Formats: sequence, structure tokens, C-alpha cells
Amino acid sequence: MVAAVVAAGLLAFAGCGSGGSDRAAGRSDQIDVVATTPVVADFVRNVGGDRVHVVQILKPGVDPHDYEASPADIQAIADADLVVKSGVGLEATWLDETVSSAGYGGEVVDASRGVTIRQGNGTDEQAAGDPHIWHDPADARIMVGDIAAALVAKDPAGKAGYERNAATYDAKLAALDAENEAEIGSIPVEQRKLVTNHDAFGYYCARYGIRFVGSIIPSFDTSAELSGKELSDLVAKIEQTGVRAVFSESSLPPKTAQTVATEAGVQVVEGEDALYADGLGPVGSPGGTYLGAERHNTATIVKALGGRV
Amino acid sequence: MRYLLEPFGSPFMQRALAEALLLGAVAAVVSVFVVLRRLSFVADVLTHTVFPGVVIGFVVAGTSGIVWGASVFAVLSTVLITVLAGRSRVTEDASMAIVLTGFFAVGVVLVSRQTSFTSDLTAFLFGRILTVDRQQLVVTAVIGAAVLLLLGLLGKELLFRAFDPAGAEARGYRVLALDLVLNLVVALVVVAAVRAVGTVLVIALLVVPGAAGRLLSDRLAGITLIAVGTALLAGWLGLVASWQASVNHGLRLASGATVVLVLVLLYGVAAAIATARKVRA
Amino acid sequence: MSEPTGPVLLRFDHASLAYGRARVVEDVHGSVHGGEAVALIGPNGAGKSTLLRAVLGLVDVVSGRIEVLGSTPARARREVAYVPQVDTLDAQFPVSVGQVVLMGRYRDVGWLRRPGVRDRALADDALEAVGLAERKDDRFGTLSGGQRQRVLLARAIAQQPRLLLLDEPFNGVDAVSQQALLAALRRLQDDGAAVVVSTHDLALAHLACDEVCLLNKHQVAFGPTEATLTPELLRAAYGGQALELAGDSVIVAR
Repeated sequence: MVAAVVAAGLLAFAGCGSGGSDRAAGRSDQIDVVATTPVVADFVRNVGGDRVHVVQILKPGVDPHDYEASPADIQAIADADLVVKSGVGLEATWLDETVSSAGYGGEVVDASRGVTIRQGNGTDEQAAGDPHIWHDPADARIMVGDIAAALVAKDPAGKAGYERNAATYDAKLAALDAENEAEIGSIPVEQRKLVTNHDAFGYYCARYGIRFVGSIIPSFDTSAELSGKELSDLVAKIEQTGVRAVFSESSLPPKTAQTVATEAGVQVVEGEDALYADGLGPVGSPGGTYLGAERHNTATIVKALGGRV
Repeated sequence: MRYLLEPFGSPFMQRALAEALLLGAVAAVVSVFVVLRRLSFVADVLTHTVFPGVVIGFVVAGTSGIVWGASVFAVLSTVLITVLAGRSRVTEDASMAIVLTGFFAVGVVLVSRQTSFTSDLTAFLFGRILTVDRQQLVVTAVIGAAVLLLLGLLGKELLFRAFDPAGAEARGYRVLALDLVLNLVVALVVVAAVRAVGTVLVIALLVVPGAAGRLLSDRLAGITLIAVGTALLAGWLGLVASWQASVNHGLRLASGATVVLVLVLLYGVAAAIATARKVRA
Repeated sequence: MSEPTGPVLLRFDHASLAYGRARVVEDVHGSVHGGEAVALIGPNGAGKSTLLRAVLGLVDVVSGRIEVLGSTPARARREVAYVPQVDTLDAQFPVSVGQVVLMGRYRDVGWLRRPGVRDRALADDALEAVGLAERKDDRFGTLSGGQRQRVLLARAIAQQPRLLLLDEPFNGVDAVSQQALLAALRRLQDDGAAVVVSTHDLALAHLACDEVCLLNKHQVAFGPTEATLTPELLRAAYGGQALELAGDSVIVAR
């Protein structure tokens, strides 16, 4: 009984977010669009401009796979003119249920339409394929195109503006693509290997000819210290692959990172330098936009693997 | 007052409220028996033993299978627990704790084989009251009606047994059978509550209202009235709180858990009143 | 106490009782007539409660027979009332005196139905008979121990039993309540019911009971009170725990 009360307390306050939600509804001259992920929301903002009021469901740092919609989320969807999702099963566990509960009868725009989907990692979660399509700027351009088309269909009066914004942003994405290619090209060929603890970079690696070695880092987040055997196994694997750096998504206990670094002679990229795999950084930070996050990822990878930024 | 009513303009909040009120009222009536018969531990055991049924039902038939799986396990575990409580070779506590953890572990293992593990688990344990649909409301209503009917029909015998088991036995009542019925009633409430508040939080609904009622009244009718009132109030205020926090302050308060917290707060109020009465007397 | 007695309502025919394989009471033999009161006397653990439960059909009779109201204990249960010791009950339970007495009517009301006007009238009369009518709406636990025992007797009376079994009803009961209990039992006997009461109180047995059954895991004696409550027989029943005083007075240890 006590356990239930404690659980209730922890749960109730779990994810007490930053103060100040998105305004529930936009001005009367705007259309209300609900976007699921930070990346999709960023795209919608860029294309929609001033005509669109965006409500972003998943805040930075929130796991898209395990999400319980809040009353504000459901309310926003209920009042939305359009709902945009990233697709490929990323929001599968919660979006459909939430949309039907909200009584939203409109279109749920799938931003992944037209993207060539890669195979998933074999788990049920990725039954529809690998959802991390946005890391390939070429695919991001397709997503932006889908979003623009949907906005135009919903709000024909704003067609000119949307198409202009989409074109501008598309150019930026093209520039990003070229930049990435150049910078990655400067990495010595034998060093073009990516070791992360998340399988988020399939599309990125395929695009730029990087070999994805895989996730050899065990669940660092939960263990404070590696056992002696775990450490020597890890070192052996790192030496086998011959990589110069391993990348983590989040903060490791400093001691763990140090230990791996000194024992294996590799650099461990984590903490503030960590890659943006599933989402974006906090609003206002360099990683808070798609372009910023992708640039950070490339710069970090290239620098660590011996290329020139 | 507007503050307390405005969350319920949208259908999803109306459904959540209906579910909370229905469930709360039924659970509150049952909780009176749970408190009088000192069945809190048994109720806790039942919330854990129904859990694997939830998972199996989900794995076999998706979300609509949850109630069926839960019901099967509700019946199974009720029989098991009633029989265990009837014997006392190993102490009753110990054997029940073994059953509790064993069943629960089976459930967790089964859930962990799903890759949507964490979100499924949290849904089963803590409920998703905001996405309750009309079908779920009907299920809750049907189970609730069955529970109230059972309690209404057998109420006087259950009362007699609760007060004087030896006397009831002497009168020829089969105490084990009566206990089976009451345990089944508790298990049915757990089944009804799974989708809304989950198996972990339902224990609060099954204990706190009755406990609050007991603090404030010496009569069965009074206790029941207060228990139901407390549960209804907690359901309403809990949903208001979580909605207002989310929509107007950007603060996430999981709805089911907030209802439980309000319930516990109301119990605190009842305790304060009871103490004040004693001091004045 | 020498009124004409009625038919045999309870007969022990060399009955031996067991819990599972362990025999607990051996060879009880005797009969109880309508209008009579029989005291069941013996040290703690002698099997008095077990014997009462056997009359209710809750304990196995492994040899011999117990005949209740001309039938088996289980079949006769409807007309047999049992009054437990009051301290086995939770004094905090939120039930009123009136509700407790009404419980005596439940079996006759039957499943699925509510007590009716007649049931309530019988309950009220029963409460009157033990002299506690004015406490009807008070919570059961607010009464004194002796008063609560009287309420339990009222519950039994409401049942309109032909045979009444009481498990140590006089333990720690105040004089007023004791008198009330005895008076109520007397009235039941006058109406033809038989009473079996287990007790440690020899004086009370002398006062109120026609016969005594002395028990210590087996029957030591079963006969009229005067003839049975003798120092020799009491010593036999209580083992070394009986102390003889001057004359025929005996003190027994519990």
C-alpha cells in the first residue's frame, strides 16, 4: 500500500517539465499544427513560418517510444487542424490511441512518405523498419516536401509562403548534405567506422559511406562501474575494430568514460559532446534545431575520427 | 467553480471522469469490506496476481484481450489465495507473499519479451485513464454492476462473517465460500481498474476510501457513504488537477497517479478531522 | 429446578470426537431434556468447546453418536443456537447492538432476502429479554463485557432455538449481567428449550443447572448437579488441581 502511494507520488511528478507550455491554440489567422517529434516540429516551423502555430508533443530528452500523452497533448490534438508524425512506427505505441481518444478526425500526415525505408534492427519495435530517417539530409528533404504539401493542401491561401519557405529550407538541407560529405571525406578511409550504443545512424552511415560497427557499449547508463571482465572484453573489442573513438548518446559516469579511454586508448565521446540520436537538444541551444544538431553530430564524429572540420 | 468544471469540455476528459467516478464508487464500496475484514494484504496480493493475466491477454489479443486475461487470472488467483488463507501450514503471510511475487515476476518476464516493454509495463501498472474509450467504460460499468449486485445480494452474510466468523460457522454458513466471494469481488475491481489506473494504483482505491470512512463514522452506512464520497471527490479533483497543471502550467502530473494522491490527501483530511474530534471529546 | 422435563433434545451415545486422527474427547454419554440446563465443567483444554462444536456438527464423531433434536447435528443446526465467548469479537467493529441481534435472524431470512417486520420484532423481543432494549442503537463495542455477552445471547434467542449452547458466557461478567443472563436462560427453559453451558463457575452450576457433565478429555461423570459436583469427582476431573476445604467445599484451579 505504501509502495503504491510512493509510486503514485513519483509518477505524478515524473517529467515535471519546464514551466510554460506551448500556447494551446494559435491566433485566429494561424492554423494549428501538432507535430510529434522535435525534428518534425522544427521542419513544420521552418516551412510554416508565421502562418502556422506549432504544438510539439515530445519535448527534448523525452523517449518517443514510451510516451503517455498529457491532457494538454490530447487537448492540442483535439483542437488541431493538422497532425504531423515522423512515421515508420516511431510513435506507434501511443499516437493512434491518443488521436482516437482526442476525437481528431483529420489527417495524420506521415512525413516519412516517399522515403526509402531501411530494415530495422529485427525487434518488434522496428517492425516497420528503421525510423531514424532524418539523419540523412536527402531523406530530410523528402520529409520537408511532404510537410509542405500537407500544409498547402490544408491551407491553400498560404501556398505561396509555404512553397517559398520550403524552398529556402530545402537549400539549407542541400548545403548541409554537401558539408557533411566534404567533412566526412576528410576522415582517413580506414577510420570511417562508427561505434555507438544506439542504432540511430543507419541512414547517416549509408549516405556517407561510414561503416557502422555496432553498439559495443553495454548499458553504461545503469552501471556505475565496469567489472574487470567487462572492461577487458570491451577493450578487446575496441582494439579489434581499430576505431579511434566510441560515441555515447548521453552522459556516462565520468569514471567509466575515463577508464575505457585510458585502458583502450580510445576517445569516449559523451556528455555535452554526445550525439543527437533520437531527438534534439533544448530549445535555444545549438542542438535545438535540426540543422544545429546534425552539424554538431558531423563535427563531433569527424573530429574524433581524425578528419578536418 | 469554473476552474473545477472547465477540464471536462472535451470528450476524452468526460470519458476519463466517467471512468474515474464509476471505478471509484465501486472500489470504494468494496474497500469498506477490505478495511473491515483486514484484507488489505490480500487485496495487494490480488493486484499482483492479476498482472500476468493482463500481459497474457495483451500478448494474445491486443488491448481488447487485457480484460479477458485479467479475468481468468482473477478467478484463478482468488481460488488459490482463498484456499491458502484457509490453511495455515506455512504462515499465511509467507505463502501469500510467495504467490504475489511469483505471479508478478511471471508477468514481468512475459512483458519483457515485448519490445514495447517499458511503455506496456507502465500502462499496465499505472493505467492510461486519458485514453479510455467507450468500450472500456462499458466494461467497467458491467463489472461494477456485477460487483455491486454480489455485494447487495450477499451483504448481510458477508457482514455476519466479517463480524463473527465462529458464529457464522456455527450457523452453518460456509465461511470459505463467503471468503471466496469477497476475494473474487476484490479481484474483479482490479480487472476493471487495469486500463484506467493500473494494477499498482488500484490498491489505493481498494483501501483508502474505506479507511477514511472508518475514521469518520461508526456506522456501516456512514462509512460506506463517506468512502464513496471520498473516492468520487478524488476522481474529480485529481483529473482537474492533472488537466489544469498540464494545460495551464506545462506541468506533467500523470492523471491516474494524481487521482491516487488526491485520495491520500483526502484521507489526511479525514485523519485530521478524526483527531480533532477526539481532542475535543 | 424440579419442574417436569420435556423430551430428549440432545443425546450423547458413547460419543468420541477427533480432529483428524487425534482423538480429543472420549466416550461422552448422557442426555439433555427440554427445559433442562446442563453445565459442562472441566479444566482448560478438557474438550468443552470441542464438544459444543461437535453438537453443531463441526467436529467429527469417530465413534458413537450425537443425536440432536432427533436428527444429526448438521441437519438440526437450524434450531440450535450457539453463543460464543464475547472476547472473540472485535469491539471496534462498526455494528450496532440491534444489528448484532438481527444477525440471529439471517439464516431464517435466507439468502438474497432482507429481514422483514417479523424478524425485527423477534430481534427486539430478544433484546428485551436480556434487558438491553434501550441500547439498541449503540455501537456494540461501547457496551461492557457483560452487556455484550447478553447481546450475543439475545442474538441466539432471536433465532428461536430449541437447543442453546453457550461457551463460557459467565467469564468476567459483572453481577448485573450475570443475573440478566440467568433470567433469560430461565425463560428459554420455561418455553421448553434445552441449554448446555460450559463454565468454570461451580456455584453458578449449582444455582442454575439441573445436570452437570464433568469432562477432562473423557467423560468423568454426567448426572444431576448435587450428585456430580462432589469432591471426589471434581478431583478426578481436575486432576491434582482440586483443593478440598472444610466440609464439602472444593476449590478448583482453572
